[in-house]
Amino acid sequence: MMEAYKGTCWKLPDGVSSDQLIGPSHVFDFEAETLRKHLLEEVDPRIAAEAKPGDVLVAGRNFAQGSNHSHPFIAMKAMGLGLLCRSISRGPYRLTIFMGVPILTITEEIYTALEHRSRIEVDFTTGDIKALDMGAEFHAEALPLHLLEIVTAGGGFEHAKAQEQEQNPQ
Amino acid sequence: MAMTLIEKVLARCAGQDRVRSGEVVWVRPDLVTVPEVAFPAYVKRLRGVGFERFADPEKVVVAIDHEVPAHSQAGAERNRLTRQLAREMSVGHMFDSEGITHPLIIERGLVRPGDFVAAADSHTAVIGGAGAVGVPFGFETALLMATGKIWVMVPETIRVTLTGKPRPGVGARDIALATMQHLNETDASYRLLEFTGDGISQIPFWDRMTLCGLCIDIGAKSAVVPADDVACEALAELGVANPEREASDPDAHFVQEVAIDLSTLEPLVSVPPSPTHVRRVSDMRGTAIHHAYLGSCASGTLEDLRAADALLAGHKVKEGVKLLVIPSTRKTYQRAMEEGILARFTDAGATVLAPTCGPCFGGLAQLCAGERRISTSTRNDPGRMGSTEAEIFLGSALTVTASAITGHICGAGDIGKARHDGSV
Repeated sequence: MMEAYKGTCWKLPDGVSSDQLIGPSHVFDFEAETLRKHLLEEVDPRIAAEAKPGDVLVAGRNFAQGSNHSHPFIAMKAMGLGLLCRSISRGPYRLTIFMGVPILTITEEIYTALEHRSRIEVDFTTGDIKALDMGAEFHAEALPLHLLEIVTAGGGFEHAKAQEQEQNPQ
Repeated sequence: MAMTLIEKVLARCAGQDRVRSGEVVWVRPDLVTVPEVAFPAYVKRLRGVGFERFADPEKVVVAIDHEVPAHSQAGAERNRLTRQLAREMSVGHMFDSEGITHPLIIERGLVRPGDFVAAADSHTAVIGGAGAVGVPFGFETALLMATGKIWVMVPETIRVTLTGKPRPGVGARDIALATMQHLNETDASYRLLEFTGDGISQIPFWDRMTLCGLCIDIGAKSAVVPADDVACEALAELGVANPEREASDPDAHFVQEVAIDLSTLEPLVSVPPSPTHVRRVSDMRGTAIHHAYLGSCASGTLEDLRAADALLAGHKVKEGVKLLVIPSTRKTYQRAMEEGILARFTDAGATVLAPTCGPCFGGLAQLCAGERRISTSTRNDPGRMGSTEAEIFLGSALTVTASAITGHICGAGDIGKARHDGSV
């Protein structure tokens, strides 16, 4: 089971690109502790400095558009962040799940209602979203079970290893 | 029941008679490609969780193409480690500084029509020009190498029907940008673009790589030009044994149809901040540029170099403008050298470098604040080539060359006119 994420809502606009999430100058670096310092530094440097585990990025349409870079999701996983977005194309959608970052796609109504830097609680297993400061509750469609399993395992590598051990117990 | 090309490809790779769009299937790709950017990091991560071997190492292509030649100690170490790990993991194909992965695997005869190629790098859709389907998976490619299989959702297909003959000066880049004008990311997301129609015969084999590669930037899963006689002949010459056509069934279902009359197109350019922000070159005429770049996996072909060379004939690069030319593979570099093209480029004032992805992502020839470049590469996000306060425009090899001659954005037709009235 994955516990609900409870923390600060960091709102992002439509069309935040992969290059804005982490600049292409870091393309050769795959170390999570380095990458997390640069997440969204050109958009809102407070996120890398202040975001805590349980915080949730709430993005607009076409999140992470552009190059299919894994780096932002390595950083988000290391920082313990969850993700809500209006829409996301297949490349970053897969990478989000593969890196073990929980994700929900949300409606325009939910995106508009959630306020930047307000308190938020998201149960990614059920799709329940609570805007704690407003006392409002919303619901989004949870991930399909086979993808939720990957996220819950901590990511694709951990999920594959667990499956292998399940099939070939020592 | 009728199937689209991608349904046929994925059914074969899943070991099933048929698959339907929307279905999730586990597939074994025909080829897996990883550049040195990521290869050492992937192997390290795999070993960290106990995966010591690749399931099908003979299918794995590793290419050192992003930092060539190494121009940092970190790059030198990464390249050394890539060579070492490629040997340790017994990969089937290791290309060291021989060109950019996507055109290179076609040039080396590793791609057949109807193949499914999984890649770490985003622009693998380039191989759609050879009638195959390339899909990027980023870091997930590491696990694929270890297990030999990956899940995919079978995409719906958008059919883009091309008719007519493009006017002189209009090429594959312009057709790709015209496609972007018809489709937004909501249309293209999770979908495959299939180009068809009698207009395909007007697009030379290598130009089809440009057309397909750029479609990834609309947000599509991939793009393909089903192989015709032109493609099969070209692939046979490259060493592919008996290349065969693979196409959608005539009565297959397409989720969306787009029709483009090539004869109506004019040169187009992507303006900042995104490749999908498309304008007519004629509307951008007069925009001063400081740099021009001809290269990347979306250009840098012998055909593009020849076209640029023909346009450049008798002209010099405008004083104050830096034209950088990078052939996409070593063989292309060699041929262009033998044909005298590279000598004429340097004589005109261009700088010619060995094959690398470098400038496309700011790994080489960075821009500083206030500078503007027109480029044949893939993306123009702020900061993509250095400063976030530099501007990048994307156009065809002809548009880039014409702009380098005049020092401002213009099309090949403007050089013809200027030649006539003696103003260049």
